Amino acid sequence: MIETLFPANDFSLIGIILALPLLGAFVNGIWGRRLGKEAVKLMALAAIGASFVCAIIAFLALDKMVSREHGYQRLTWTAYEWMHTVGGRGAGNVAIDAKFSIDALNAVMMLIVTGVGFLIHLYASSYMGKDKAYWRFFTYLNLFIFSMLVLILGDNLPVLFVGWEGVGLCSYLLIGFWYEGLPNAAAGKKAFIANRIGDFGLICGMFLLVHYTGALDWTGIKNGADILASNPSDYYQIHVWPIGGGTYTGALAFLQPKSPITITAATAIGLALFLGCAGKSAQIPLYVWLPDAMAGPTPVSALIHAATMVTAGIYLVCRLSFVFVLSPFVMTTIVVTGAATAILAATIALVQNDIKKVLAYSTVSQLGFMFVGVGVGAFTAGFFHVFTHAFFKACLFLGAGSVIHAMHGRIHDDVKSQDMRFMGGLKKYMPFTYWTFLTATLAIAGAPLFSGFFSKDEILFKAFVSKSVNPFAEQLSSKAGATVWAPPAWFGQAVFVVMVIAATMTAFYMFRCFFLTFHGNFRGWEVGRASAFRSLPADEEVDHDGDHHHEEEDLTVPGPPPHESPWQMTVPLIVLAAFSFAAGFLNPAPLTHTLPMEHWLQPVFEGTFKIGGGAGPILTRADAQKLEWPLAFGGIAAFAIGTGIAYWMYMMKDGAPARELAAKAPKLHQLLLDKWRIDELYEKTILAAVDALADTMAQVDRYIIDGVLARGSSLLVAALGHILRAFQNGVVHVYALAMVVGLAAFAWHFTTPHPDATMTEASGDYTLEAGPGMGYSFRWDADGDGKADSDFGTQTTVKVHVDPGKSQAVTLEVKNAFGRVGAKRFNLARPEKAKVLDVGTGMMGGQ
Amino acid sequence: MATRDVTPSPAQPAWVIPALSTLGVLAALFAGLHLFGRAEGGFALSRAIGWAVPLLVAAAVGAFVPTQGGLKTRLPIAVMAALAVLMITALWVSDSAEIPDELPKEPKTLLSWLIGLPIAGAIAILFLPRQAPRVLQWTTLGTMLATLAASTALLRIPMGREFHFNQDFVWLESLGIRYHVALDGLSLWLVLLTTLTVPIATYASFGSIQSRMKDWCFSLLLLEGAMIGAFVSLDLFLFYVFWELMLVPMYVMIGIWGGTNRIKAAIKFFLYTMFGSVLMLGAILYLAYTYSKLTGSMSFDYFDLQRVLVPRNVQIWLFAAFTLSFVIKVPMFPVHTWLPDAHTEAPTAGSVILAAVMLKLGTYGYMRFCLGLFPESSGEFAANLAGVAVLGGIVYGALCAWKQDDVKRLVAYSSVAHLGYVMLGVFAATQSSMEGAVLQMINHGISTGALFLLVGVIYDRRHTRMLDQFGGLAKVMPVYAALFVVATLASVGLPLTNGFAGEFMVITGTAVSSRLGHFAGIQAVGAAIGVILGALYMLGVVQKMFFGPITKDENRHLDDMTRREVLALTPFVILIFVIGLFPNLLLNPMAGAVTRIRTDFEARIQSSPGPRYYTGPIKMLPRRPEAPAAPVPAPAKNAEVGGGS
Repeated sequence: MIETLFPANDFSLIGIILALPLLGAFVNGIWGRRLGKEAVKLMALAAIGASFVCAIIAFLALDKMVSREHGYQRLTWTAYEWMHTVGGRGAGNVAIDAKFSIDALNAVMMLIVTGVGFLIHLYASSYMGKDKAYWRFFTYLNLFIFSMLVLILGDNLPVLFVGWEGVGLCSYLLIGFWYEGLPNAAAGKKAFIANRIGDFGLICGMFLLVHYTGALDWTGIKNGADILASNPSDYYQIHVWPIGGGTYTGALAFLQPKSPITITAATAIGLALFLGCAGKSAQIPLYVWLPDAMAGPTPVSALIHAATMVTAGIYLVCRLSFVFVLSPFVMTTIVVTGAATAILAATIALVQNDIKKVLAYSTVSQLGFMFVGVGVGAFTAGFFHVFTHAFFKACLFLGAGSVIHAMHGRIHDDVKSQDMRFMGGLKKYMPFTYWTFLTATLAIAGAPLFSGFFSKDEILFKAFVSKSVNPFAEQLSSKAGATVWAPPAWFGQAVFVVMVIAATMTAFYMFRCFFLTFHGNFRGWEVGRASAFRSLPADEEVDHDGDHHHEEEDLTVPGPPPHESPWQMTVPLIVLAAFSFAAGFLNPAPLTHTLPMEHWLQPVFEGTFKIGGGAGPILTRADAQKLEWPLAFGGIAAFAIGTGIAYWMYMMKDGAPARELAAKAPKLHQLLLDKWRIDELYEKTILAAVDALADTMAQVDRYIIDGVLARGSSLLVAALGHILRAFQNGVVHVYALAMVVGLAAFAWHFTTPHPDATMTEASGDYTLEAGPGMGYSFRWDADGDGKADSDFGTQTTVKVHVDPGKSQAVTLEVKNAFGRVGAKRFNLARPEKAKVLDVGTGMMGGQ
Repeated sequence: MATRDVTPSPAQPAWVIPALSTLGVLAALFAGLHLFGRAEGGFALSRAIGWAVPLLVAAAVGAFVPTQGGLKTRLPIAVMAALAVLMITALWVSDSAEIPDELPKEPKTLLSWLIGLPIAGAIAILFLPRQAPRVLQWTTLGTMLATLAASTALLRIPMGREFHFNQDFVWLESLGIRYHVALDGLSLWLVLLTTLTVPIATYASFGSIQSRMKDWCFSLLLLEGAMIGAFVSLDLFLFYVFWELMLVPMYVMIGIWGGTNRIKAAIKFFLYTMFGSVLMLGAILYLAYTYSKLTGSMSFDYFDLQRVLVPRNVQIWLFAAFTLSFVIKVPMFPVHTWLPDAHTEAPTAGSVILAAVMLKLGTYGYMRFCLGLFPESSGEFAANLAGVAVLGGIVYGALCAWKQDDVKRLVAYSSVAHLGYVMLGVFAATQSSMEGAVLQMINHGISTGALFLLVGVIYDRRHTRMLDQFGGLAKVMPVYAALFVVATLASVGLPLTNGFAGEFMVITGTAVSSRLGHFAGIQAVGAAIGVILGALYMLGVVQKMFFGPITKDENRHLDDMTRREVLALTPFVILIFVIGLFPNLLLNPMAGAVTRIRTDFEARIQSSPGPRYYTGPIKMLPRRPEAPAAPVPAPAKNAEVGGGS
């Protein structure tokens, strides 16, 4: 039935999947204020829920199609032609359709976005229950789901870009949701601008792609991609310096290197696109926005800044895998960036006290893991980590939200209520939160059999055994003699070691966070007997504005115990925890060789691994099979060591070793607490530079362009007016003087002879005809010997023949009636071969 | 009635039903369109329903959008929403659309009506009593709306590559000056932008302008007529007349109704523009004189002067004169400094018209006249000028904008950056970049027009535009904040708002341009950097104005948008999304004209010998195929000779 309603090439169910969240956003956005909370909730949840159901139907339809026809299958839907552009030389018009498609890769993403999205909506309906701007929150959240779906379902880069910027916008709006606090608004702006830097890269990638491949849709790019790396001709090289490959002879010529610096088009495109990915997925150097983004409400952190939006970069690398693998340099850059980010963020997470900050840096670190995965060519492994991470990280954030919700019972300050130093012992009060948080922590720490173990282990394994090479290396070095770059041999091992260390840190900081929050004694406030606080006054609506200060409570006075959250919040936690545990069995790599996920995604990446014929772009060590189990122990050891240290430090010794360490190296500890002061570094360097540049520009505009140039020229005119006005003073003898001076000038001019001649040429015969004048007589020197040919007379013309390539000087002397003589010299030079000026006719009639 | 006592409880469950019924209607609409769209040839009734239902739904949704206000608010918004849907359906190009055998007849005098109506209105204003501001206002607005209605008739003709609505008769026979107006896909949208923007600005201005209403209305009408005239003139003398005629009302508007430094700003505006235009006049006269030397009779007609082929050393001077004139108007670095002053001092309506329409005359003029009359020079200097557009426009303008503390000045500098994209697109001269440039002209008119209107709103309340005077306004003026954010996002070029399509087409078009030589790539990168900078300065404004706590007591009790302000902004907001979603509605009618301009430009460059440049003596080229037949100077002066195009 589904096939008849929605044929595979006109699968308009996608339209419904997309339209429902948009409709929810529209209705809530326009009428939400008047609808009331219940209706807003109904609208938002119904929209996402229905979208999720439709997504399941679409997934089943795709599954049916795959099992029937095998190979790479997709469902497409073209809404309309959005706009168009032109391709590189000769490619002509490139239509950009509002086209969407579902294949194996984004079908999974679609289910995550709508499914996890629905759970988080449900959670938020309770979490945000007391907020006045309830409707605004759900508007943004629905809009986010819409944008995210556009991002993953778009069939070409510009449509993806719509979603890409759309999620950035929603992120901006949601981080600054409580906009009365200036830091929140600033964090939102920071996120948007960091993302825009990434978007700049994506735009550059798009114009390069359209220039070189003449297409922007996935199929078109795939068809045209090979040439990006396989063609050694100059056209497929980007001249980085000198720009455009020109040669300069000007004053700056010394900046020009002997041989121009060029990169292949594939490298340029890969780097540009990866900049976009790094911006969206918070990698070095653009990761700084994500920790600040925790200023948004916690469900937002869970949905946008952990489960979905930030994984868009990995999705894009998977989606355009056939472009990225063409350049080993880009692949290596991705791995290095991912590994560096993973370890850097992990070190920061070791010491943070804010529970959301720990999770934020953990997200950054895990995204680094994913990039390492896709960077070594293990697209399935990287994407599988996206999949599992979506569950356990969403669960962790929601659990943290649940804890913060409980802490808000008496600690109203936003910073303090998230501080783990005020928590502890919550296990007793919040059993659901405790158990779900524990499951997710085990998953992220990589406890064997939990989902994170399988996905992380696969990445570590692949990092060790894989190597990225140019698939056209043989062709290029044999035919064009080009040197082809490849990563060094030890690269995989080094990455493996770094990632195992990062995984150890992950286990440590996650269990540190877990023990500090749930074990030990409760440090928030004096807990009184629960029965004493039964009849609490109804909670008033929370209005996060500046002029509505909660009175800070005296926390030494006994208060009610922290409470477990309502079912709207615990049910999503339980579901997500279940998936955090079980999702790994979709791809239990070292255990068995039945890998449903790998099998499902295999057609998507099949073509990528076959590029270039031969061995393909990703080489695997011959002994890879044998190494699988030994290498898995690296991951297990990381979990055991990290967890063990955390248990020893925070459970057995109650945090004493940590305090000692901090006291031993206070500077390092402070540096870690200050996040390596990278933000400050950026502020002092790049931001300061741009700021100074802008200041200079503004001053230049004001004082030089407007001041000196504009005012200067007007002053010049005014000064001229002043000078001339001095003459127009009405005194007769000044006028008379001017007249006399003028007459004298005229007299001088007329008594001076002005020799001049017009020259005509016909096949080497030059005719010079002297211009007439009153009382003039002429004397020529036509042979160029320096002596006059005759005396002054009336001969006004002279003819000279000049052979091709020769030249001849002719001098004309003129004597006027006053006897004064003037002379002018003409140089007759005949070119070697007369240039034929072929001026065509009808040159404007071009149709 | 019994249901009367439904008191609005905090939860207001009564609203659930309308919300769900809206949902139901939309679902029905979706299903209906699906069915009717598939039905081959369907019944007339079903087609009529399929046509009318979207309009009605849009009208209903539009009517319910405002949070408060009676029929006087809801009805106009409903009408505008319906008109937007009508625009989409009427301009929609589907693959199966057949070109009808009989094209609708072109009314030959339509363009003269469009020019004449506002000017006649202006004259009529002179005879109305000064004491009756209402009468003056309604006459002005009525005339403008009539012009707007008349201008929509332009859309009925498929544009293609040719000129349409050609009207050409001899004006001053001895000098060869003709009244020659015609319209192609390029002029089409600019004329429509004018006829749309001017009434909006006028309507909005009736709230804040209270003094000298008669003079105000006269200026506005005269300005509209002159601007439309400039966009459709194909006689260079006529163009020059309209070009200068525009200056006077704008000069008066800044000088009388402007801010504290209005006189200085007005003079600066006038002098800058005049400086360029006098040079242009010299170049026009030179061309006309050259033409008369070659043919024996003077002509100022675009198609005649296009045939004059002058050697390089002459052409670059003529090109420089024209370009300087247009570049000042655009404005481009380094002759842009009149713009921030003029914008800052001009009244809101003046700023809107200045930004939305008048600046476009510079870009339009370059595209029509510089590319058309001096293709070789335009080609030679394209790469250099594109460099100026990127560095001096997109980057420099954005950085300067970032450092302004006066909102209006900031928006003015953002115009410099936005028009950098337009000029870059024109210089790059690829199909995509030029279409993008024209689209960006319209987009800039809409989003910057909206921003100026919005700045005017807060200026009317606080009488200051300094950023540090605001903060936390989102709390007291939520509707205002929401609309401002929408306009900001459009200005920043967020996808699905209008700004993106134009920018994207310009950037990708620039990257593949062969006209810019080695620098195409780096210039495209430079243009893409503008995307970052745009977000930097515009989001800074939003943050400083709307977010954070309210710091100034004066801001605590500001009124949100009035009905007049909301109604003035509604068309802009609708268009922001309509163009963002369906840029092809605008791109398709203009594609032919852009193709013609581009291919003629390329063809002439290709056909020139030597280093792609003509060096021989001045000579005439054959008449272009698109050029409508020239009129015979008939004994009866006003005899109209229709040009077959």
